[in-house]
Amino acid sequence: MKKHYPLKLLALLFWLVSVTAYGQATVSGKVTDAGSGMALPGVAVVVVGTTTGTSTDVNGNYSITLPTEQGRLTFSYIGYESRTITVTPSITTLDVQLTEKTTSLSEVVVTGLATSVKRTNAANAVSTLNTRELTGITSPQTMDAAISGKLVGANVVANSGAPGGGIAMRLRGVTSVFGNAQPLYVIDGIIVDNSTISGGLNVVTAAANQGNASNQDNASNRIADINPDDIETIEVLKGASAAAIYGSLAAAGVVIITTKRGTSGKTLVDISQDVGFTEAAHLLGVRTFTEERVISTYKDRPDLVEQFIAARDAGRLIDYEEELYGNKGMLYNTRLNISGGSEKTQFYVGGLIQDEEGIVKRTGYEKKSLRFNLDHEISERFDFSLSTNYVNSIAKRGLTNNDNAGVSFGVALSSTPSFADLFRDESGLYPDNPFAASNFLQTRDLMTNEENVDRFLGGLTLNTNLYNTTVSSTRLVIRAGLDFYNLKTVAIFPRILQFEQNGNQGTSIQGNNYNLNTNFAAFLVNDLSLGDDNLNFTTTIGATRENFNQDQVLTIATQLIGSQTNLDQSSAVTVDQTQLPVRNKGLFFQEEVNFRDRIIATAGLRLDKSSNNADVNEFVAFPKFSLAINLANFDFWTRESVNMLKLRAAYGEAGGFPPFGAKYTSFSPFNIGGSPGIIVPIQRGNADIKQERQKEFETGVDIGVLQDRVILEATYYIKTVSDLILVQNVPGSSGFSTRVVNGGELRNRGVELALSATPFDLPGFKWNSRTSYWVNNSEITELDVPPFPLGGFGNTLGTFFIEEGKSATQIKGIKGEEGVVVLGDAAPDFQMNFHNFFTIKENLTFSFLLHWKQGGDNINLTQLLTDLGGTSFDYDDDDDGDGVPNAAERTAALGVSAEPFVQDASYLRLRELGLYYTLPTAFLEGATKGIVRQVRIGASATNLFTITDYDGYDPEVSNFGGNGLSTGVDVTPFPSSKRYFLHFTIGF
Amino acid sequence: MKSYIFKIKYQAMLVWLATGLVLQGCEVDNIPDPNNPTVESVLNNATVDDLNNLVVGTEAGMRNFLGTYYDNMGVIGREHYRFSSADPRFTADLLGKGSSVLDNNTFYTTNPWAGRYRVVKNTNILIASVFNTTLITEEQRQGYLGFAKTIKAHQLLMNLTMMWEPGIRIDVDDPDNLGPFVERSAALDSIALLLEEGAGHLAAAGEEFPFSLSEGFAGFNDPAGFLQFNRALAARVAVYNEEFEDALGFLEDSFLELNTDFNKGVYYVFSASSGDVLNPVFVAPNSSGEIRIAHPSFIADIAPNDDRRSKVLEREEAASLDGLTGKYDVALYKTNTDPIPIIRNEELILIYAEANIQTGNTLEAVRALNIIRQGHGLGPYAGSVTQAALIDEMLEQRRYSLYFEGHRWVDMRRYGRLNELPLDRPGDDVWTTFPKPFIEEAF
Repeated sequence: MKKHYPLKLLALLFWLVSVTAYGQATVSGKVTDAGSGMALPGVAVVVVGTTTGTSTDVNGNYSITLPTEQGRLTFSYIGYESRTITVTPSITTLDVQLTEKTTSLSEVVVTGLATSVKRTNAANAVSTLNTRELTGITSPQTMDAAISGKLVGANVVANSGAPGGGIAMRLRGVTSVFGNAQPLYVIDGIIVDNSTISGGLNVVTAAANQGNASNQDNASNRIADINPDDIETIEVLKGASAAAIYGSLAAAGVVIITTKRGTSGKTLVDISQDVGFTEAAHLLGVRTFTEERVISTYKDRPDLVEQFIAARDAGRLIDYEEELYGNKGMLYNTRLNISGGSEKTQFYVGGLIQDEEGIVKRTGYEKKSLRFNLDHEISERFDFSLSTNYVNSIAKRGLTNNDNAGVSFGVALSSTPSFADLFRDESGLYPDNPFAASNFLQTRDLMTNEENVDRFLGGLTLNTNLYNTTVSSTRLVIRAGLDFYNLKTVAIFPRILQFEQNGNQGTSIQGNNYNLNTNFAAFLVNDLSLGDDNLNFTTTIGATRENFNQDQVLTIATQLIGSQTNLDQSSAVTVDQTQLPVRNKGLFFQEEVNFRDRIIATAGLRLDKSSNNADVNEFVAFPKFSLAINLANFDFWTRESVNMLKLRAAYGEAGGFPPFGAKYTSFSPFNIGGSPGIIVPIQRGNADIKQERQKEFETGVDIGVLQDRVILEATYYIKTVSDLILVQNVPGSSGFSTRVVNGGELRNRGVELALSATPFDLPGFKWNSRTSYWVNNSEITELDVPPFPLGGFGNTLGTFFIEEGKSATQIKGIKGEEGVVVLGDAAPDFQMNFHNFFTIKENLTFSFLLHWKQGGDNINLTQLLTDLGGTSFDYDDDDDGDGVPNAAERTAALGVSAEPFVQDASYLRLRELGLYYTLPTAFLEGATKGIVRQVRIGASATNLFTITDYDGYDPEVSNFGGNGLSTGVDVTPFPSSKRYFLHFTIGF
Repeated sequence: MKSYIFKIKYQAMLVWLATGLVLQGCEVDNIPDPNNPTVESVLNNATVDDLNNLVVGTEAGMRNFLGTYYDNMGVIGREHYRFSSADPRFTADLLGKGSSVLDNNTFYTTNPWAGRYRVVKNTNILIASVFNTTLITEEQRQGYLGFAKTIKAHQLLMNLTMMWEPGIRIDVDDPDNLGPFVERSAALDSIALLLEEGAGHLAAAGEEFPFSLSEGFAGFNDPAGFLQFNRALAARVAVYNEEFEDALGFLEDSFLELNTDFNKGVYYVFSASSGDVLNPVFVAPNSSGEIRIAHPSFIADIAPNDDRRSKVLEREEAASLDGLTGKYDVALYKTNTDPIPIIRNEELILIYAEANIQTGNTLEAVRALNIIRQGHGLGPYAGSVTQAALIDEMLEQRRYSLYFEGHRWVDMRRYGRLNELPLDRPGDDVWTTFPKPFIEEAF
């Protein structure tokens, strides 16, 4: 990951220098921000090759004595590009300007498994997010929340507002229907598991009706474990043209996360504390009952009319939605970062204690994370980087989403009117809810649904310089990564709950999920420079191994003894175990050629084998090619105002594994009378199953004007996925219901535009802005199986429908006489974001992120359930003025037309807003005698407002979780929340 | 010089290490399914244990989606309402509310259908396996075949009761080449033939089965007893096929007893044991949310003193949903492990009565009907003894005796009386049949 290219700016300095001098040399000067001219205090200044170092004072001034008469000085500062400058005896004053890392074109982007290239030379539009964009505005609860709405080309949908996160992320559209649709995550070279493992709530909710497979349990994805504050940058390889280097793991894209590392110089200690609260972003409201309305809704129930009158007269009409979702949860985050080091050894320590409540009582998220990163230069020949991270997290997620037992919070709420009495009585008992299977207040107060994670991530990279000459250098990179976690899911439904008394009589569902991923890689990298540095070659050859082991054990105990929760305190126990071992081996070759930063070409090939493939020892090949031409670097380019004009094109292929086990036809266990039995599986195996193959071509132009004050990146891509893995519905009469087949082709085409600008860069006012626009269109170009529905609840309620020649995310359903027709599409028409950072008078920063999603439909069944339950807030209104009340009109459509349920889910959302004040350094210097380096206070908010016509808790919703393509199905989700914070940071 | 050698050593070692990583087993091991036995494993020289696992799995699988099946039959047959706060289709589609129709791609159509064929597939694998093993005796083989064909016939019949008009597939051995849909009458003939073959195997199966069945088959778990079960099913098939003489013949070899031991028979059993399932239609009395409410006509029409009234239980509070209201819970099952009948003596007595009515033995029919009536606290039949009147009486007794056991809709349909079933809301419909599942159309 080293830079191979000399910094051009240095040329100027070399030119100024004359050569002779002797003895020690003292150099002093001032370090400032290259844009605003603001002084930078605390910049580390180190003499290269020594342990001599200092840091700048509050006014950005420094003075350092070099042990020799000449040498090199490195200036580094968090959030800025480091600079190394050669000092000669004639220099005694050296003022340095550092450039902030923003959309900086001098940053590097990944091009290979062990190589990278300057962004100015990249042939792919790699989206990058840095610390400021990720966590600089507010404190996101989880890593997945930190990227929502920020990535151009990505469609990121939060599954619900449940504490602990959970997202569906699509990079450049849907890339798989049944295969893995979630990107690969790599943190400091560690291939990180991002499973979504169900806690087995289906036992209680019966959401999936039968069997253990359930994807409606609203489980979080494991990437949520990562502390967002540890992240330095996120680079996103959105398609095969960039991601081919990861072969069969990369079909859905790759998210490469680099964590913060120490820099040599003074040890910096930062302690920050956030205090905040959260509340529901939007509640639907409840129906206002009157005597007439009770009579008309509950026919032949004079008892209920009396109950209503009694409740009304006693002032006991309760807004149960507010009661359930109206909790104001407190949010606390404490962070400690320590970084520093010497010339040879640098370290970074990041600690986090997070304790956040949810908008439903007894829900919340807790996390403890400790990171230790170490870089050490053993000798001129060897250096290594170590990344370690331990995380403990607890997500208490409540009971939401679809169910068929009427027990989840929202489903029970949907049929409970305001005159019901659900509160605990003096004896501590809860009355049964006569309007639903669950008294949700009792359920909320007594149930448990937790995900407890203990996770360790460790990565080690050893670099060896094998051979160096003036024109060639060869290094060996050996990398090992380890991701271990134990996820314990605990779902306890005590015997006393209304639905347990009538059912399982106490349920304790506990999952123990063991996950161990290890990955190893070794690369030989040769840099060759020919013709006076005019032609540079970078050659990589290497091998990779990945071992993935997952073992999920789910134990379900029912008929519990008293209020006991241990699995053995029960009279009935069932166990389900699933093991998912995968072994991959790969070979990798890549050649990068750079002609004077004018023409940059790359070719690469990855060969993969996997135990997931039908033929485990067949090599599957993934090629890639790319070309970038920097017109502005050619001699003929004379337009000074346009300092960059790059044309680029890239092509690559990547693969996607079939779902684990697709090649086997294996019996399922099914017992009766205490004897063990086996029955044919629901899914028929396919011994000929192949990987999905993604082929992507992308091309674009990058323009930088006014010394990169304005940068436009424009990209067009076309991406096809052939051998599409489909779970084909087969006739039930065959004894099977489904089969995994390769049966189609999917195409995504899209445009991405990103405009970065610094409209103002004055000493007193600086404004950085990034505006992005992206659009993607998908089409099933070929389908070898009959068209089929998936990811919904059938034609009556609206369902996704895979059909040749149509969008992959179209939604179909019945519509009166017309039969089954297209009713909508879940894919947005386009998305935009507007990301802004203002710095006023050096001390005050103000930033916000606006995200606009235009178009894209949801299947809103929450509204239908409240209509049927007689509790919709607009039940009795008549929006279209035709004399038929809303609810009657909508429910009348049930079984006739699914059109009312397919609703536009466009929104404009202020995702993040932050205001920070940094105390003047001069004041701090005086008040604390230099002990305190910086003090920053601030306030921020998440989801402050959302403008939408959508009649639901949140247009961002996914009942079926993150995988597959059926996001946007809305069945009584955990409502999403707003978050407000006060921040305090002190640095030493 | 020294340091140079040192360097070379390191270099060599690291290159060796890197090469090792590449070469060290460039092979990837094939991982057999770590989670379950494969189907192939039983098709070659299966042991008695392997085959017995298939037998147990077959019996266990008969219970898949049974809850949906009984809701389908009972709701359309106006025996009960299935109120669900989570799924509106039980009160819309199944009752034909407004312009709602039965969908050919919704769970109520597809799940029970596939559930039954999954068991059929298991029996076909069992049949293939017993012909491809040398580890069992001939008597054992006949026992497995008798079991497999009898259960297969029962499962096909269950699907035919739903798919009365499109019919069913009989030949489903090869999933890549499924046989055609066979219309009702021919399907009934095929099912009868399967039962006949099964009976032949059972007769040659010796004294004992090599496998054990659950408590649900208590008394019927040896070849002779299982044969009685087979013949009882044959009698049911015969009356469906209007072959009433045959029905009487089958009843003779069945476990029919013309007395009040009504519950003698074969059952689905349930338990909370690992890998087992609970009674899918059990609901505790006075529940809310997901409930089964007796159709109001059950209580409105029941004779005074009829002890079959105990099949429902008056609720503390009436239940209402979607314009429907009922005051009684369906209360056939008192716990979530109560067994559900597959076929029992009470039905056999009623088949005996029906076959006698249809073959002109009205006095014998009245005698059988009186066993039912008197066994439930009613006086002897006092109505006219014409064939038409006795059919009315027989259907009425079946309505109450076999309440919520999946018969009412079938009975009214085969006698062309679906229009006599009560409609609760204007615009409701009584369906004649479920549609052919969407996916079956495509193959």
